Amino acid sequence: MNMTGNVKRFLSVVLVLFFLVFLIYCGKEGTADRSQEDRLTLGAYTVPKDVYQKEIIPAFQAYWKEKTGRRVRFSESYTASGAQSRAIGAGLEADIAALSLEADINRLVKAGLITHNWKAGKYNGFVTRSLVVMVIRPQNPRQIKDWEDLTLEGIDVIYPSPKTSGGAMWFVNAILGAGLKMSETSGGQQDMAYARGLLKRIQGRVKVMDKSGRESVTTFEKGFGDVLLTYENEALLRQLQGKDFPFIIPRATILIENPIAVVDKYVDKHGNREVAEAFVNFVVYKEAQRCFARYGFRPVDEEAAKEFAGKYPVPPLLFDISYLGGWEKVNEVVYGSEGIWSQIIRELGDER
Amino acid sequence: MKDNKKFLPGGPGGAVFSKSAPPGRRRRGGDLLLKSTGFFYIGLLVILPVVAITAEAFKGGLANLWRQITLPQALYSLKLTFLVAIIMMFINVITGTLTAWVLVRYRFPLRNVINALVDIPFAIPTVVTGIMLVVLYGPTSDIGKFFNRHGIEIIYNKPGIILALLFVTFPFVVRAVQPVLMEMDKDIEEAAQTLGASRFCTFKRVVLPTLFPAVLTGAALSFSRALGEFGSIVVVAGNIPFKTQVSSVYIYGEIESSSIQGALGTGVVLLISSLAVLMILNFIQKWSSKYDNPA
Repeated sequence: MNMTGNVKRFLSVVLVLFFLVFLIYCGKEGTADRSQEDRLTLGAYTVPKDVYQKEIIPAFQAYWKEKTGRRVRFSESYTASGAQSRAIGAGLEADIAALSLEADINRLVKAGLITHNWKAGKYNGFVTRSLVVMVIRPQNPRQIKDWEDLTLEGIDVIYPSPKTSGGAMWFVNAILGAGLKMSETSGGQQDMAYARGLLKRIQGRVKVMDKSGRESVTTFEKGFGDVLLTYENEALLRQLQGKDFPFIIPRATILIENPIAVVDKYVDKHGNREVAEAFVNFVVYKEAQRCFARYGFRPVDEEAAKEFAGKYPVPPLLFDISYLGGWEKVNEVVYGSEGIWSQIIRELGDER
Repeated sequence: MKDNKKFLPGGPGGAVFSKSAPPGRRRRGGDLLLKSTGFFYIGLLVILPVVAITAEAFKGGLANLWRQITLPQALYSLKLTFLVAIIMMFINVITGTLTAWVLVRYRFPLRNVINALVDIPFAIPTVVTGIMLVVLYGPTSDIGKFFNRHGIEIIYNKPGIILALLFVTFPFVVRAVQPVLMEMDKDIEEAAQTLGASRFCTFKRVVLPTLFPAVLTGAALSFSRALGEFGSIVVVAGNIPFKTQVSSVYIYGEIESSSIQGALGTGVVLLISSLAVLMILNFIQKWSSKYDNPA
């Protein structure tokens, strides 16, 4: 309190002014001026960032310019799929949501932001595909070939927690489904007990669960672990960057499908439905699909898929989420509070 | 303001300040404005979010909140969080006080540079801290390999968490103790020694009681900070439930899997613990300064 009255008054005036400016500035942000060009906000998950930035968006800008003579400017946001979905739900006004999981799109449907039937499109609303694969060390020193090899003593397995990374559910789904599929092929009947046991034995070999798929890759790249479960596109992307990143496609694995959808509420607010829909259609065109294929994603377009068939072999026991009963069932039976995953985590905790 | 006086640097400058500005009407207006701005700011920045979180947590009812907190995984994460925070706090109290002592009482080259380095942990993003620790002590580093051969896991286990917390909270104790040490008159220590007290006795009977409130402040701040630490822990811990998953990581998982109630339950426990620690600290400080300064 050792201050003169003048200094104090000056300080308070400055503080008040600071707040006023701050508030005015915040208010103004929302009402940015609208110029002649079209604007699109893309809210995507992190994995396809490279291909969107380097290939798809420039190609679409050229396409749109040719078709309408208008420029289209993009604002892009990339973050983990679940976080992106929640951000859009909480008011990040993305015109297009390109996410990793159906569940993350469904959250926007439930929030009333997506009101059209996004699954009505040509490829059920999906834009890219991928597989769950096993990345191994060069020359495969631990001789890993299939799921059972991950359960062996002394093997360190890495994948992110499905609790913190929605995308990581693919890995757990892959193990569970592979267990079912393999038991079905060898014994003629799906053996849930075997599948559950397989998941538990593999989870018991996991020492590090990072919070996202990318971070798990980083942990593996730093030299920790014998096997990394990741998406085929992620592994191919590393190879594209010139890294020694060998991976194996197990004979039984899950087909990943990534959705994209126009966010109705925000395009209606921004008045850019036309360009947003054009973009969502554009990404499944052959031209865009080839770009995705070059960056490691399996195309949904049949023609592009045929062209890249050599790069993307189909494993004999491939299955998709419907083999496990669809997302809704999986969310309850596997990830619910009394689901298989939660039980296994508790059991492993008790054994510790 | 009385208690603070002893921490203010003495000298003529201070005296000039306290003599100025006689009370008057205009001054009171300025006071009021400044005060309300301050309150408004604290309210907007701290109180409002805290109240909102607490209110949201109790929305689902007390029984539900309790169920969320006592879920085995949540409970384990809380136990682990408190365990590592307490261990960290004790180490920090000793090393932090020592560091402050060395920085204040000894003269050596580059002392100012080293003094400035103490604050570095505040400047580094905690994620970077985590990555740095993994590179240094991780299972593939030389140090990590050495410890692994002796059956000790640092990174991806509990020692890694404590290490990360020690780094992140390092400045708290040092910076709390340092000014008190600087202010402390050496005369008293010398007097004690002339009266025949041993060095240890002088430290125990003379230095320590003076430092006690400051050490406590540092300890409480670092403890509270440790309860909420996320960025570095999520990188170094391994995050395996029932083994190395702390509360902040558990909370993050609950948020990511859309279980807001689960996140808020554990969050409120951390919040209340932190608040309690800081309140107790305040109380002890008031109490000790009463005896410290009977005038």
